[in-house]
Amino acid sequence: MTATPITEPQSVTTLHERLLESERLLKETDSYAGLENLELRAADPLKYESMHTKLRSMVVSAREMARRISASPGVREVGESVVAIYTPEGDAIALSTGIMVHVHTASRFIKWMIQNGYEESPGIRPGDIFANNDAFIGTVQAPDVIITIPIFHEDELIGWVAAVAHELEVGGITPGGDVALSQERYTEGLMVCAEKVGYDDELRRDYLIRLERNLRMPIYWVLDDKAKVAACLEVRKQVRELIDEVGLDYYKRATKEFIEEGRRAQLARVRQLTVPGRYRGHTFFGHVTEGKQGVLPQGNRNWLYAIPMEMEVTRQGKLSLDFDGTNSWGYHSMNCTPAGMDGGMFVTLTQHMNFDGKVNDGAWLATDMNLPLGTWTNPDKETVATATSWALLLPAFGCFQRMLSRGFLGRGYKEEVFVGQVNSPMMEMGGESQYGGDFGIALFECAAAGSGALGIKDGLDTAYVGWNPESDMGNMEIWEQDMPMVYLGRTISPNSGGFGRYRGGSGFESLWAVTNTELLIPATSEHSSRVFDNAGMCGGYPAPTVQLHHSVKDAGIEQRAAERKPLPHSIGDNPYESDIERLTDGQTKIDEGPYLAEPLQSGDLFAHSYNGGGGYGDPLERDAGSIARDVANGYVTADAAENVYGVVVESNDNTSTVNAEATQSRRRNIHDERLANALPVSEWIEQTRSRVADGDFAPEVREMYRDSMELSPRFAGEFRNFWSLPSDYEIAKRSRR
Amino acid sequence: MASYDKTEIADLIDGSMPWPSTRAIMSAHKDDDRFDKYLSILQERVPWHHPILLPIGEHLYIVQSGENRIVKCDCGHEFGSYQDNWKNQALIRVRGDRESIAEIYPGRYTCDPEWMELREFICPGCVTLLEVEAAPPGFPIVFDFLPDLEGFYEDWLGKSLPQEA
Ligand SMILES: [Zn+2]
Repeated sequence: MTATPITEPQSVTTLHERLLESERLLKETDSYAGLENLELRAADPLKYESMHTKLRSMVVSAREMARRISASPGVREVGESVVAIYTPEGDAIALSTGIMVHVHTASRFIKWMIQNGYEESPGIRPGDIFANNDAFIGTVQAPDVIITIPIFHEDELIGWVAAVAHELEVGGITPGGDVALSQERYTEGLMVCAEKVGYDDELRRDYLIRLERNLRMPIYWVLDDKAKVAACLEVRKQVRELIDEVGLDYYKRATKEFIEEGRRAQLARVRQLTVPGRYRGHTFFGHVTEGKQGVLPQGNRNWLYAIPMEMEVTRQGKLSLDFDGTNSWGYHSMNCTPAGMDGGMFVTLTQHMNFDGKVNDGAWLATDMNLPLGTWTNPDKETVATATSWALLLPAFGCFQRMLSRGFLGRGYKEEVFVGQVNSPMMEMGGESQYGGDFGIALFECAAAGSGALGIKDGLDTAYVGWNPESDMGNMEIWEQDMPMVYLGRTISPNSGGFGRYRGGSGFESLWAVTNTELLIPATSEHSSRVFDNAGMCGGYPAPTVQLHHSVKDAGIEQRAAERKPLPHSIGDNPYESDIERLTDGQTKIDEGPYLAEPLQSGDLFAHSYNGGGGYGDPLERDAGSIARDVANGYVTADAAENVYGVVVESNDNTSTVNAEATQSRRRNIHDERLANALPVSEWIEQTRSRVADGDFAPEVREMYRDSMELSPRFAGEFRNFWSLPSDYEIAKRSRR
Repeated sequence: MASYDKTEIADLIDGSMPWPSTRAIMSAHKDDDRFDKYLSILQERVPWHHPILLPIGEHLYIVQSGENRIVKCDCGHEFGSYQDNWKNQALIRVRGDRESIAEIYPGRYTCDPEWMELREFICPGCVTLLEVEAAPPGFPIVFDFLPDLEGFYEDWLGKSLPQEA
């Protein structure tokens, strides 16, 4: 059959008008592009599905091809890229695997150009190449560089293809991509603000010169951009071939139907997997930077972030998230733009609801978010830094996963219950490379944290991050080629997964010896201090995500090796004294919060840890045999097995076995200790009330409450109500002098 | 549409199904009769007869008790109306000092008690750990889930809420 052409009013001629028209249709008809029926799908489902499969295979194969020609280990080794096809208005139709968080951020970028008159100036013509890494236009953080090209059919712009890669170096105040020390936009590195960076299918020479002169390691960004352009051109060619095959009218109508089908599928999936109602949760993040080297005066403090969240599922199946009550943006790098929040929502939906069928922007259209202006989720100033948005974004969307999981649990889909994603702290560095000359890199082995537990099994060990479900830590030997450090070890961190009937997945830790350099500047980010930035569920405990850095000057490794003394290979399983302290000659320095401290040089040691995920269910219900296996494999120490799980494991060289009698008695003890130390909640509230009334909290905690209460009357009301405080109760602002 | 035996669902929700079969279920389209089978399995396991309306935790259910809809533990302990936070009727153990936090998170794994405490919500009936909250001192207890039971049954499942026999 011939497709019913999408009838566009005669007056709709420019892209801008088409975008407005598309928004109007969605608003007025409540369906994408005003589509009432999925006509093509009904008429010939095989043809329709076949076209979708073709589009999807185009983007998947283009991404793989780009990985083969790209230079940066971020893209090549750990797959930090994604490719997607868009409608002329910038709505995603089909996307590849990879960092799917960016499918929707690229959508924002395309729409932004249309809204800002790019059709007139600088013009959108066949062969043009546009780039953006400005989070307020449409990306998460400066290293997420998006390349997009228009697809023309004769004279008509009929779509876009975009490719995104996370760059390992952006030329900011500290080396790497997630510029840890940036506190304002002006220190985040090289910004490309929806710029026309090429024409006639070639990147402009002056753009490449700008990259070469402003980055510590331009080769990564330059070659990744070329790979992204190649991927886009390949997809453009194949889309044109597809249009020759199916006809332009069919292509236009079918791509709109894909999105509308995605939107309807999302609503149906919510109704299928969850329960309508109000869900709540929270998470917190501690950022300790007061007095650190290089911190600007306006941000010279510690921050405690509260992220209370509410999710509403309506009877229609519409899912909305509300961040009311969270804290203000600040002079640090952890702020997020609405584009980044969209990205977090989108990538989470693709993993839990929108993982089969038509994965596209339709799912996003069926959801809603309240991002209060002035908070870290929606800063009221576009000069704030967003270089480490993930720090707050990942814990927030981990909480979203727990709220969704409460719905899955209600429906009996326990295999989908997931305690959620966690931050995976980033290790970046620069200085003088082992080859001589400057260098800078993000060591992307962080793309393989532990996941939260599932409702029916343990979390994944060192194999999951929320932003890229195809997680990979990359080979040590590859990373060693790109930095003046060698691994002394890369090890599962014992007890790093939250305890529970099903334990959270384990994180890992790396220990390096610095070699062949006089100047190594590490900079780390996205690790919470003093508070766990994740949670357990149904009786499971949070993972202990308060990472410290161990560094040693002149550790004497060469000398110790020559003398055949034992060397440290990890931080070790003694929580009170690390192997680094025990097995090196120099003084071990332990740093809390982002590592913004003395540079290192040959002969020094440095250790960095990645997080595990939260646990599920009461740990006393964990099967004792699983704990013996955890102890044998180094996931859990014998001490934790006994103290938390109440399982006494006896190990010799080859085996770990459960002492059943001692276990029974220890589990009985834990049961008794629970009763002995617990009291009714009402009594606890009564006892705690005066402390709250007096505001007897650490300064950072007081400031967190003051700020949340000032920003959110609802939060303030609920806080006063919970503690039965007078209606004029407030917490005074701390003087900055 | 996919559909599984009750014994398969029982193994799946207990985590005792072999991984290849579990994986196959996770990758397949969802079985739309899951909820009924799930409720029936859970109802057979509890020692009481109030009809389960909705599970809201590992051991907690919203049940119909006479005219009231209440939260009930599988041990039989009752936590009051589902419209109020069941946690308010639980026992709480707060780990708010270094010593008690160190029992779970020793040494370098500890949170700072000035910034975060652990709240363990315990069933007064069976002493099961039902939920753990990690929050700064003073942070109000979270009401995790308030379902729209009428909407769920009438609009989504297309049936009326079960009544006590
Ligand atoms: Zn109980």
